[in-house]
Amino acid sequence: MILQINFKSGMPIYLQVVDQIKAAAASGALRPGEVLPSIRPLAEELRVNRNTVAKAYSELESLGVIETLPGRGCFLKGNHSALRKEVRRKLLIVEIDQAIVQAHHLQVPRQEFLELVNERMDVLEDKRRANVNHKEN
Amino acid sequence: MKSPTPAIQIENLTYAYRRAEAVHDLNLTVQPGRCYGLFGRNGAGKTTTMKCLLNLLRPQSGHVRVFGLDPAEHEVAVKRRLAYVPDQVAFYPWMSVRETLDYLASFRVQWNRKTEQELFARFQLDPARRTGSLSKGQRTQVALIAAVCPETELLVLDEPTSGLDPIVRREFIETVIGAYQEGNPGNRTILVSTHLITEFEGLIDEFTIIDNGRTVLTLDSDQARERYQKIRARFAQSPPELDLKGALRVRRNGRELELIANGAGPELMERLRQHNPEALSTEALTLEEIFVATLKS
Repeated sequence: MILQINFKSGMPIYLQVVDQIKAAAASGALRPGEVLPSIRPLAEELRVNRNTVAKAYSELESLGVIETLPGRGCFLKGNHSALRKEVRRKLLIVEIDQAIVQAHHLQVPRQEFLELVNERMDVLEDKRRANVNHKEN
Repeated sequence: MKSPTPAIQIENLTYAYRRAEAVHDLNLTVQPGRCYGLFGRNGAGKTTTMKCLLNLLRPQSGHVRVFGLDPAEHEVAVKRRLAYVPDQVAFYPWMSVRETLDYLASFRVQWNRKTEQELFARFQLDPARRTGSLSKGQRTQVALIAAVCPETELLVLDEPTSGLDPIVRREFIETVIGAYQEGNPGNRTILVSTHLITEFEGLIDEFTIIDNGRTVLTLDSDQARERYQKIRARFAQSPPELDLKGALRVRRNGRELELIANGAGPELMERLRQHNPEALSTEALTLEEIFVATLKS
């Protein structure tokens, strides 16, 4: 898993780390039980403050994406969300609403938007499948 | 909850060398555990400010407090808890690197040998070399090792990377800061002054830009990157007359328009959008770009 920080995105650095690890977990690039890089080497590699990486990891831990085993490091959890289904849906709705607003401004109509969502889900599925096949071979 | 005592607190600091005022009415607070940047051009007053913290200079008016203490009254108590790397590093040239570090360690209550060894290996320094024969970069490396190993609560670095080549700069600054913070995560404080901001982009939590001895801007880095935006728009014809209030700077080039926004980014985007641009994009300014934009406007 290779992370990439973009200082020009305007997004807080720790959130970029959080999002990218979540994305890697969703696509299967990072597998349940797999160990994450330790804080200090990752901080040096990304050229960011060690506390920033620590903040990202504690955020991921509170979201239930990873777990820390003292003395052994941070690991990706399996079926991770500790939240109830309604809460999870609510969190997703916020993101969907933002995408819908964006779609309006970019003049992407409803049907096209829905097709795009389907297409992107297929892309993620394909990635997942590729990552799983790779593991089996 | 009572907020913790700031690691550094500077209130209305003024200092003049004879009649030349170097620092004027400067205010700055560094909370414990932060990596704080003091940005300014050469001669902006960075070194003078730091020297006042270390009681190397006495403030002519205003107060400085380190760990809540006045460094003039409690010099030893303050210096015991911090390490300082000055802009000009000087050692006894006849001592070897090993002897120099042992000598410096003898003034300290604590010295982490493991960190020392680790940094020696990373920098590929030869402990037997006389410090007089080291390059400027290597001398700075020795000074940084000497600053990190005592494991103090506060690290004060004055232009630690100026005069060094880009490769050395890139490599060691994260290494040193990482090694320092690792010992007590979340509790060690860094104050670093520099005009080479790009190298510190990802390391700085919060910063103050000073110019002519005065505070120009103090901000959290993440907030700064969110607030300062560069907006680019391209229109089919030459850009219409627009109300661009809220833009820090505007550049026009034929059909293109480039704005620097400070906080007003979303409104400016919306106003540009109403004129149906062919292309419209936005990106955050880096800390260095914010520095330049702030000092130019």
